[in-house]
Formats: sequence, structure tokens, C-alpha cells
Amino acid sequence: MSGHDSKYFSTTKKGEIPELKEELNSQYKDKRKDAVKKVIAAMTVGKDVSSLFTDVVNCMQTENLELKKLVYLYLINYAKSQPDLAILAVNTFVKDSQDPNPLIRALAVRTMGCIRVDKITEYLCDPLQRCLKDDDPYVRKTAAICVAKLYDINAELVEDRGFLEALKDLISDNNPMVVANAVAALAEIQEHSSKPVFEITSHTLSKLLTALNECTEWGQVFILDALSKYRAADAREAENIVERVTPRLQHANCAVVLSAVKMILQQMELITSTDVVRNLCKKMAPPLVTLLSAEPEIQYVALRNINLIVQKRPTILAHEIKVFFCKYNDPIYVKMEKLEIMIKLASDRNIDQVLLEFKEYATEVDVDFVRKAVRAIGRCAIKLERAAERCISVLLELIKIKVNYVVQEAIIVIKDIFRRYPNTYESIIATLCESLDTLDEPEAKASMIWIIGEYAERIDNADELLESFLESFPEEPAQVQLQLLTATVKLFLKKPTEGPQQMIQVVLNNATVETDNPDLRDRAYIYWRLLSTDPEAAKDVVLAEKPVISDDSNQLDPSLLDELLANIATLSSVYHKPPEAFVTRVKTSQRTEEDDFADGSETGNSESPAYAPDSSTSPPASSSSAQYAGRQAVAAPAASAAPALVPDLLDLGLDNSSAIVSVDQPATPAGPPLPVLLPAATGQGLQISAQLVRRDGQIFYSMLFENNSQIPLDGFMIQFNKNTFGLAAGGPLQVPQLQPGTSASTLLPMVLHQNISPGPPSTLLQVAVKNNQQPVWYFSDAVSFLVFFAEDGKMERSTFLETWKSLPDSNEVSKDFPGIVMNSVEVTLDRLAASNMFFIAKRKHANQEVLYLSTKIPRGVPFLIEITAVIGIPGLKCAIKTPSPEMAPLFFEALENLLKS
Amino acid sequence: MGIVFTRLFSSLFGNKEARILVLGLDNAGKTTILYRLQMGEVVSTIPTIGFNVETVQYNNIKFQVWDLGGQTSIRPYWRCYFPNTQAIIYVVDSSDTDRLVIAKDEFHAILEEDELKGAVVLIYANKQDLPGALDDAAVTEALELHKIKNRQWAIFKTSAIKGEGLFEGLDWLSNTLKSGGV
Repeated sequence: MSGHDSKYFSTTKKGEIPELKEELNSQYKDKRKDAVKKVIAAMTVGKDVSSLFTDVVNCMQTENLELKKLVYLYLINYAKSQPDLAILAVNTFVKDSQDPNPLIRALAVRTMGCIRVDKITEYLCDPLQRCLKDDDPYVRKTAAICVAKLYDINAELVEDRGFLEALKDLISDNNPMVVANAVAALAEIQEHSSKPVFEITSHTLSKLLTALNECTEWGQVFILDALSKYRAADAREAENIVERVTPRLQHANCAVVLSAVKMILQQMELITSTDVVRNLCKKMAPPLVTLLSAEPEIQYVALRNINLIVQKRPTILAHEIKVFFCKYNDPIYVKMEKLEIMIKLASDRNIDQVLLEFKEYATEVDVDFVRKAVRAIGRCAIKLERAAERCISVLLELIKIKVNYVVQEAIIVIKDIFRRYPNTYESIIATLCESLDTLDEPEAKASMIWIIGEYAERIDNADELLESFLESFPEEPAQVQLQLLTATVKLFLKKPTEGPQQMIQVVLNNATVETDNPDLRDRAYIYWRLLSTDPEAAKDVVLAEKPVISDDSNQLDPSLLDELLANIATLSSVYHKPPEAFVTRVKTSQRTEEDDFADGSETGNSESPAYAPDSSTSPPASSSSAQYAGRQAVAAPAASAAPALVPDLLDLGLDNSSAIVSVDQPATPAGPPLPVLLPAATGQGLQISAQLVRRDGQIFYSMLFENNSQIPLDGFMIQFNKNTFGLAAGGPLQVPQLQPGTSASTLLPMVLHQNISPGPPSTLLQVAVKNNQQPVWYFSDAVSFLVFFAEDGKMERSTFLETWKSLPDSNEVSKDFPGIVMNSVEVTLDRLAASNMFFIAKRKHANQEVLYLSTKIPRGVPFLIEITAVIGIPGLKCAIKTPSPEMAPLFFEALENLLKS
Repeated sequence: MGIVFTRLFSSLFGNKEARILVLGLDNAGKTTILYRLQMGEVVSTIPTIGFNVETVQYNNIKFQVWDLGGQTSIRPYWRCYFPNTQAIIYVVDSSDTDRLVIAKDEFHAILEEDELKGAVVLIYANKQDLPGALDDAAVTEALELHKIKNRQWAIFKTSAIKGEGLFEGLDWLSNTLKSGGV
């Protein structure tokens, strides 16, 4: 590249941002306005124009309403990204909130509420206070909503400044829109608050009812929603309220209608007079029906809500079933919902009509819809005893059409009908059997097989029919296999002849030896044992009379139904799920970016083992509190056992003498193989592998002995040399006689602080093992510091900070690990947590992740750990602070091994 | 006549507005001065968190006056307003002798700014109506105005409440700007 090419790097073009900056600072108003428009345009298409913040804010003080609105729009968007500079806008807000023009006052207060910057919320309180008492209702109603927004940003501030009281005062406002917005704001705040913020009293009740008739449709929705939460004192009050609200049912807005329905349904609970209830039900029907003439989307919402209403009060729409008949051009989701409601509304009176409809649907083209229609017929049969016969005849007609999926679906529902009305309609079995060959769906096959088994004595060729299925037994899905097994057993019990006997052997063989499915195998074994011990008992069990089924599919639990009804006209009533199942609300706690302590510090606390690993402080297992529940339950008794005994850790029911399990069934869960400390070559054929492990608060020496010599070995004993930690055997070594070529593993409980060696800390652990046949073998092991980390090493955040401060700086040691890469904070934390290093907090420093953890070694010596690393980049720094800094090298070595692997 | 006047005006001053910053510590009286100049009356003020901007027409010059909040938290953002500034009005509370040192430090820090190299400086020794207020000479001393080099400056005794001294200062400013060939 020649020297002249540098010109390509310098350009005379300034770029968009500097150009806009210049225009924003122009002395001409028009130019400034155009520039702000350009900025907003850039913002809306996603360009980052946040760097123009001050320049745009400087255009904020203008008489031009259009320009002002644009600047406000910009502010709402970028205040969050420029929290410091946002303060420059405060004075203008304050001024605008006193502007003679109410539109500007309202605009200012509305925008203020949308700026979620902690630093400036405080300055916005005074203007807000003023606007809540403004002369103009438009300003007051805007301010009311602003209080709810402010509550979301800083709840304390709202409470301290008395905004809640001001809102409550607004409920008595003479302007209905102000009342509606105050109600909306209070309801919103109530949802976020644990304290009772908003309770309707008899005084506010009359205010609300008055405002209801005069405010806008959305205001009506707010008020109706609030009223539906009001518990009337008695039936009379409830009646009065309902009477005032009933006219809302005629409203054109379906949200108003649904909210009114919700409110009336809630109050109806209290009304005792059957006349009034009947009357109300009559009044609610037409508005609900009207909803179904809206667009399909609204119809769907209405249908989902009606589905709930019908479950609670079927009388409302009992006479309106015709409006739920599907139109040919209804979208499929509407059709499906309509079917559901038709089933719920079907009665002896209208069943003929309904069946005619269902039959029609069953011949349509949409497979899912057809299937659902067939099922619907079945469900009607189960629901209405007197109509069952008619339903079956319709089903039989449908089977005759010989459309494959219709037939299969029909067989499934007929099976259910047989279960509902046993021994009533077997005459149709012959017809069903004709379609046997066409069945290819597992559920249909299973249903047919069930029918054959259940009525084997009345089907002459039942054995032949079953046999035809048996051929393909191994290939069938589990569902079919299970039914085949049961049906064959039934057949055998009913017709204990030679044919079925052979069949049963084939089936049992297939279902026990040939299969991998544990369910099938277990069931087969049970039958097998039953049949081989007592065929009569088998008969009693297998052929026992079964309980009659009822149609409870798609019926909601009453308490859930009530909860959903209280949420009519919300997403909850469309999903048929309570709000907390799908709404996650993040409580706004004071949290800054630097101080980003994870919530885990609280929840983690309950997960951290609550029992103390040293038995002296451990409460007896019998006083198990909630903290002991769950996975700690097994460990708790172990922890309370004296450490010198072998605790029955794995709950295998082993006593001390049999603590050794052969290698085929290792006592220790599958894990990495133990390191070989004494190779067979050195140990005259005896190979010893061992490692210290920590299990449920106790340290063990996990050992594996392999006898590769030519003689049996017995009388094993073990001794440990003095070591830094004072580790010693907590009991005798339990190894049985080892025959040549066999091996044994054991968990030797260890105790601490027994024979401490003086001198600098070392991981060296010298071990001597002897037996009756060989000389004493010496080998040495390196102790992993990790095994000392106690399960109760978790610290509260405050304790951590205090401990950190209380320790002198000389107790802080740090080390760099250039070779370690942290690829994910979560994975690292999980790994550390598995070794009892507990996460306290984390923060981000530039691109570095800084993690704080704590752990504790015996005698309650805490280790405070700080780990600093950049995700994905090799190089990790660890600093620890502890009363025992001499242990730091051991700690670092252990940490390196843990994170390296 | 109107056409001639306009031409004359534009030849004198282009058709630019003069951009003026009103700076000073909090509670010096900046906002009161701004509205005294603009509307001719005393308005009640609260601490300015941010800025006020008004246009003041005086001596045929249109001043675009930016009154910036003087609180410690806002002072760092003064610099956002420095570009294209022709003049600074620095307001001092002459009765607040305790904070004159801070006022001096802030003042000289402003003069150091590159972007304000060409700006003329007008100092208002405000609050002369209060007892114990220093006179212009004492304020000059306290602010070490003699250290100012390569810049036109003037100091006026003012009382925003009484309306004294403000327009004298503005006279000086308009004459300086007209002749100074900004």
C-alpha cells in the first residue's frame, strides 16, 4: 500500500449523528423540529440515537406542542439508557406540569410516569402531587394512572408521599373518568402489594356505581372488575348492586359485557332468592349469545369464557344450544370450542337435535373435527343414560360409512360406553368385529381388544380374534400389548380350554422374557403368579366387577372453576389456568447493576443442607422440621449417628459386618474409578485404589482391594500416619477374605483432629495396610482439600460482608490460574456448589464476572472466596480471605483440580 | 422603512441570535434574573433541576438565554451547553461569602474550557439588596477576576428582586457583542 492511500481513511462526510446534532442545535425552530422528527424516525427503525440525548432534550422547552410531544417520545425511549442525563429534563417537566394548557400538564405527568429512572422519580413527586389536585379532570385522570406507574418503580415513595390516600380521594371525584382511572390504578397497585390498599366500602360502592353509568367503556371495565372483587354484606346488597350493573350487559363492547357477567356471577353467589337468580340467568343469556356474532377471534374468547360459565350455571344457556351449532365456515378453533359447549349443554330434551348435528360433523372433511364429533357422541351417551341407545345407533351408522378414522374413533368411544353401561349393549359387538382388520391406531386396537376380552364368553370366536392380534405382539405399542395381555388372561379365565391356554403361555412368555417394558413385565408376572398359585383367586381379581365410569373429562375442579370465574374476561379464563400459572411478576426490589445479587441467596438458603455435619450440634432426626424434608430426610439420621460407627448411608439396610459389597454391585454409585495407590506389581498381586470422599457431611476413605495374587488374603488392617488434618480411621477396616481374582470395596469412615502433624500444611497422607499373608504395605495419598468443605458453609450476604471486613488484609491471599477457562457462570457455580462452595453473590466488572462464594472447613473456619474471570477467556483469578490463610495453597490446589477437570 | 431597518439589523449582527449561558452556584439567583429580564417581574422559583431557556429581546439583539441549574449534581452537565456560546453571565450571591471560594473555582474552571474560548463574560454580583452583601470590588477580588486574560469581561452590582443593575449589564453585553464581531 502506498503512502497516498491514507486518504481513504479520512472522509469529509460527517455521518448521520453529527449532522443531526448540528441541526438540533440550529437557531431556526423549523430546522430543529425537522431534526427531531428525523431523530424519532431513526429511533423507530431501530437506530441508536441515544447519543443525541442532550441535544434533543434542549429542544424540549418549546411552545410547539408537536415538537414537545416528539421530544417526550424520545425521552421515554432513551431516558433509561442515559439515566444521568435524564435529570436535565426534570425542570422542563416541572414547568410543563404548571403550564396553563391542561393538555401539556397531562402530557408532562404522563411522560414522567413512563420514565423509569430512579434518580429522577423523586423530583417528579411534587408535580404529580399538584396534578392529582389539578382543576382539570383530564389532568387528574392522567395523574391517577401515573401513581400506579410510580408505584411500580418505587412503592415506598408512593406510600411515603401519601399518593395512595390521594388516589382514594379521587374515587369520590365528581368526574367519572377520574374515578375509573383511580380505580384502575388502585387495583393495579393492589395486585403488587401485600397490604390491603384498596377495599371498597359502602361509601365508595355508591360512588363507583354512579360513575359506572357515566364513564367510558374501558373505565366501566375497570370499575366492574373492581366491583367483582367486592363482597356484598348480604343478599339484599348483592341484589342492589346487580340491579345497578345489569344495564351494562347491553353494552356494545364485549369487554364490558364479560366484566359485567363476571361481576354478576360473583354477586349471585350471595343471592338466595331463586326467583332473582332465575331472572338474572335469563338476562345474561342474550348478551352472551350476541358475543357469538362477533369476529371469530372474539367468538373464541367468548366461548372459552362461556365454557366456564356453563360449568357453573348451566341454566343460563340451557335453551340456547342452537347458537353453538357449528357453521361450515367457522374456523376450526371455534368449532372445537363449540363442540365442547354443546356436550355440556346436551340434555334429554335437546339430544336428538344435538345428535343430528354431531352426525353431520362426523361426515365433514377436517379429521380432527370429525374425531372430536365422534367422541362428543360418546360423551353424550355416557352423560345421558336415556339417550345412550340413540347415541349408539348413530355411532353404528357412522361405522357403516367405513371411513377408517371414524370407525376407529367410534370403537374407542363404544369401549367407554361399555364401561359406563356394562352388559347392556353387547349386541353390537358383532358389528364392531367386522371392522377388526381396519384398525391400525393403538388406542382403537387397545379398545377393541379390551372389548373382546371383557365379553369373551359371548363372542364365539374370541380366541381366534385375539390370536390374530397375538401374532404381531412384539411389534405392538405398549398400550396394545398391555390390553392383549389382560384380554388373554380374561379369555383364559372364562374359557380355560386348550387354545387359550397355549395363547396365555405365548403371551406371558412374550411379556416377561421378550420385553423391555417394565410395566408390561410387572403386569405379566402378577398374572403369572396369580394363575399359578390360585386360579380361583385370579378369577376374582381379574373378572371382578369394575366401577362404572362417568364423563368427567373437561370438567374443572370446583375450586379452580371458581378462581377462573373470578377472572372472566382475562387471559386466565381463556387459558383455563389460574393467573399465577402463567404470569410471572418481578417484584421491583432496590437493585442496581453493580450490586446484582442473585435471588439465589435466599432460595438457595432453603436448599442448602440444614443439618450440621458434626453430630454434636445436629438435632435428633425425630425433630425433623420442614428443612429436613426432601432429600435431606435420609441423611439426617446418618448425621446424628456417632461418626465412629458406619452410618447406613445409602439406606441399603446393611449392618456393620456387611458393609462390603462385591464389585458387581458397587456400594458407591457409579463414579470415576478410584486412583490406584498400590499397584499390583508392588503389592505382590494386591492392588489398592483409594480416595477420600465426602458423603452427607462425613468424610470416608473409599477403598478398593483387588486380589490378583494366587492366595486368599484376609485380616486386613489399616493405619494412617500423622498428617496436617489429623485424619484417622473412625472404625476398623471391614474387608472380608479375598479369594484370588476377587475384589472388595469399602467405605472407611474417617475422623479428624486425631493425630495432627506439626509443620506447614501439606496434602500428604501416608497409609499403611497389612494383612495376615503379606508384609505391611505403605503408600501415600494426596488429600483433596475439597472433602473438608462442610455442607453448612453457606453464608448470609450480610455475614459475608461483615466477615470480609472484620478480617485483616494480611489474611487475604490471591492466585492466578492462567490455564483455567470459565465458559459459563452457571456451570462453574454448579460445580463449586457440588463441592460445598456456596454462591453468595455476583457482579459484573467491565467484561469480568466476579463471583463471591463461601465455604467452611472443620472447626468452623470460614473461607470467603472471590473469583474473577472473563467468560470464555483463559485466565481466572481467585482471592480468598480466611482466618487460616496458611491453608490457602491447599485451597488453590484443590480449586484448580476442580475447575480444570 | 421596515425593509431598511431589517437590512441594517442584519448587517450589524447577521441574523443570529446570541446564545448566552447563565451559570453560577445554586441559589445565586439565576432563574430569577432570567425571568426578570424576560418578563420584567419577579417570579417565585424552585431549584432548577435541569435548565430553562428563554428568548430575551434587548437593544435589537435577540438573546437566547440558557439558565442552567447550579446544584452540584447538575454542574457536570454544564459542558453539554458550551458549544456555540457567545457569552456567559456568571451570577454570584454576594451575600454568601462562605461559598465564594467555590464560586471562584467553578468560574475559573469554566474559563479553562476550550469551547468557551471566544465567549465574553459578564459577572453579576447579585443580591445587593441583602445586608452584608459584598460590593463589586470585593467580589472582583474574591473571584480573582484580575487573572482573566484575553477575554472581555465586566462586573455589575445587581439585585434581581429590585431589578437593579441587570439591564446595565445587558447594555454592556450587547455593545460588546456588536463591536466584538462575534
